[in-house]
Amino acid sequence: MRRITPARLPETLAFLMRRRALGRLGTIGALAMSQSMHAKSVGNRPPRIVSVGGALTEIVYALEAQSCLVGVDSTSSFPHQAQLLPQVGYARRLSAEGILALSPTSVLVTEEAGPPEVLRQVSNVGVPVEVLDSGYRFEGLVQRIARIGRLLSTEAKTVALIERLSLAWSEVCLSVSHHTTIRPRVLFLFAHSTSRLMASGIQTGAHAMIEYAGAINATSDFTGFKPLTPESLIAARPDVILLTEHGFKAMGERSSVLKLPGLSQTPAGRAQRIAVMDASLLLGFGPRLPMAVQQLSEQFRTSVTT
Amino acid sequence: MSFLKKPKTCVFLLFIFVLLLSILGALQKGAFPIHTEVWLSLLTGEHPLFKSSQNGDIYILWYLRIPRVMLAVLMGAALGLAGTLVQGLFRNPLADPSLLGVTTGAASAAALTIVFCSGDRIAMFGMAKIWILPIMSFLGAFLTCMTLNVSSKWLASGSISGLLLLGIALNALGVSIIGLCTYLATDEQLRNLSFWTLGSLAGANWTMVVMMWLMLVIVYVCSSRLSPRLNALSLGEVTAAHLGIVVSRLRWSISVMVALLAGLSVAFCGVIGFIGLIAPHLARAVIGADQRVLLPLSMLMGALLMLTADTIARTIVIPAEVPVGIFTALLGSPFLIVLLRTRRHRIG
Amino acid sequence: MTMLRLDAVVKKLGRHSLGPYSLCIQHNECVAIVGPNGAGKSTLLKLMSGTYRANTGRIIFNHRPLDCWTSQALSEKRAVLSQFQEFAFALPARIVIGLGRVARNTDPDHHQIVSQAAGLLGLTHHLDQTIDTLSGGELARVHLARVVAQLWDVEHGFILMDEPMAAVDPGCQDFLLETLMGFARLRKHAVIAVMHDLNHALRYFNRLVLVHPTGKLEIVTSGQEAKNALEHLFKVRLSCLKDEQGDLVMLPLRGQRQRTG
Repeated sequence: MRRITPARLPETLAFLMRRRALGRLGTIGALAMSQSMHAKSVGNRPPRIVSVGGALTEIVYALEAQSCLVGVDSTSSFPHQAQLLPQVGYARRLSAEGILALSPTSVLVTEEAGPPEVLRQVSNVGVPVEVLDSGYRFEGLVQRIARIGRLLSTEAKTVALIERLSLAWSEVCLSVSHHTTIRPRVLFLFAHSTSRLMASGIQTGAHAMIEYAGAINATSDFTGFKPLTPESLIAARPDVILLTEHGFKAMGERSSVLKLPGLSQTPAGRAQRIAVMDASLLLGFGPRLPMAVQQLSEQFRTSVTT
Repeated sequence: MSFLKKPKTCVFLLFIFVLLLSILGALQKGAFPIHTEVWLSLLTGEHPLFKSSQNGDIYILWYLRIPRVMLAVLMGAALGLAGTLVQGLFRNPLADPSLLGVTTGAASAAALTIVFCSGDRIAMFGMAKIWILPIMSFLGAFLTCMTLNVSSKWLASGSISGLLLLGIALNALGVSIIGLCTYLATDEQLRNLSFWTLGSLAGANWTMVVMMWLMLVIVYVCSSRLSPRLNALSLGEVTAAHLGIVVSRLRWSISVMVALLAGLSVAFCGVIGFIGLIAPHLARAVIGADQRVLLPLSMLMGALLMLTADTIARTIVIPAEVPVGIFTALLGSPFLIVLLRTRRHRIG
Repeated sequence: MTMLRLDAVVKKLGRHSLGPYSLCIQHNECVAIVGPNGAGKSTLLKLMSGTYRANTGRIIFNHRPLDCWTSQALSEKRAVLSQFQEFAFALPARIVIGLGRVARNTDPDHHQIVSQAAGLLGLTHHLDQTIDTLSGGELARVHLARVVAQLWDVEHGFILMDEPMAAVDPGCQDFLLETLMGFARLRKHAVIAVMHDLNHALRYFNRLVLVHPTGKLEIVTSGQEAKNALEHLFKVRLSCLKDEQGDLVMLPLRGQRQRTG
């Protein structure tokens, strides 16, 4: 892989964008680039960033620019120091005045931030709102880092981070590809409420992570999240059940997971293979993505071979 | 009679004064600190329409805080008025648009619109939203009112619990429709849907304020002309008919008004409950049951309640915000329980 | 002149069919409807007031079919006092009395009429009390005042009442009936009332309509002549007496219940 230098940054990004040509991402990327150019030209005040999204906060920390952070949302739990920053609350219910009271120079949000009117009001005041969608791809993560880097004017650290991550990523991809002989069927369960369990179809973060980890999504015949019936659970024939740590704690203990109706009729239930991972690590698509994929594939492998 | 009106006029003046004070107080509270110089410059006539961040303070005041406070006042007045009308219509002091399922009906109609009518999603949240959602919310609320009108005839006359049970049934229906929409919704639609279940005044803007104000004025004028007939309706439908009132026409008119008020409120701010229950009760305790004076005082009470609840909601966990529906429920549920206790001899 | 005419009116309530009723009420006359429980007195009154619609037959009020009258026009000519009066909210007595005139488009003398109607029925000091704080008798008077206020400025009107004295104590009953009948006479209103108390019916009303359980209506003049018909109606022997003031009084004799034929 060619060395990424600052001079070659646009070129590299264009290269990446050609490889995974997501039109929407491209538009946002172009928009972001023009906006971030503008932001760079606005005065020489140190940037004040409000970050709505755990992964975005992690990226800021990874770029060692945490001094710019003036506010985070409720999902920004890693690293732990982030929890000490002023809280702007739940991503879907932001407060315009609350964000503006922190005098930010820009607001970083993931695609699930809302309500839309509030975001519009914030940007109308003159504080740009950057929507950083990962598209659930590694390339999306690189885009996020690049854009945030531009905003924070940390080209050197950005390049270094991207390089480091790309290296780690290629190593992980190599390691995963060595084990393609065993591709377990994995079912991701998300506890929407205490009684309702949802399974993940395609076009979700969980699906992308499962595929990256060298497994097969056992429920890939629909889009998004849908409730799971015992019959569809059996029909999916999962080898491993994947849960977030939060979801696992909500169910109580291992035995209550295994008691899910229909699970005992599946290979996962019979062999009692459950994989658990912290939600922000698993679904964040932040700088810990290579590590997350590595851990996930290891969990799948160890649970399948036992 | 003129000398009798004096105490009532005093009551109104007092509450209007309290409301104005509260509005001034609420305008000064908020996450964003606004300095006195900004207030002064506003009063000396500096043009408040600058959008550039140099005049960010004035922008925030003019485009965020003032519309928000105004909308809280108008929403509270609308819900107070709707509650009084519903209580008069069903001759039931425990009726409330949210308890009877009217607001949920509006919300489920809005949810159906969001999920099934989002052809061009971007337009949905722009101009089209201004008209389609309020109209659909109104239709949902109106349909619920008519269902209540028809079903309440099957109940024993004066049965309070029967009406509330109807409300439970209609609420359950509305909630399941919203649940179905949540199931069918794409991720983007879901973001809008979660807005409905717990109402909030975030996102208030001048368009909403103007529309709300217009609708409130129209409905208030129409309802105050009908208020003597509402008084007559409290004597029972048969007696009201003997007194010369066409009861079915009156029920239709009141239902349309309640649906307009509830529909527009839900369309702009989601489901906010209990104001329609508490405001008329407080007003009745102060000024009596005569609808001619009860309607305006309920509006004042509702405005005060909503303003207080919303100001707390947006200042208690700065820089975050709590949905105001939580506070009205926290306030309203104990109120309802106390009410049930004091009226237990009349629950049938 | 006939004010109200019923022509072979039949009303079906569930499986029961009441009627056919044929009846004529003249202007300015006072008619009492008497009969045993369940005979259909209230139904007859409700047919006359327009609360019930007849299944067959015609009801003509002031030369027009009752169905053709609008609610508003009807309320300016006839007032109804039902047997059970409910209220959902505690309005002041003044407003309840005023509700008698709620359907009028213009009402310049509203307050004056309300005060006068209240004064007629001895309610002047209760006007500002809310109706949930009034006793049963006072509440009955408030509703009577409402009826009086409704037809205060009208002549040749029509008052229908279903057991108006049910909640009133014996001390007030005569006063109220006299006041009401005096008011009706002055304004030339016709009065039809379902009465449970035979003697009130005899004392204050010109004619009696006897409603038999079979559906037959028998119309008799009020007075001594009605004795046989009443005995037949109630299946009881009656004793006719004159009280200290010379008024006719009929009392059922103890243990003299006639066996049904």
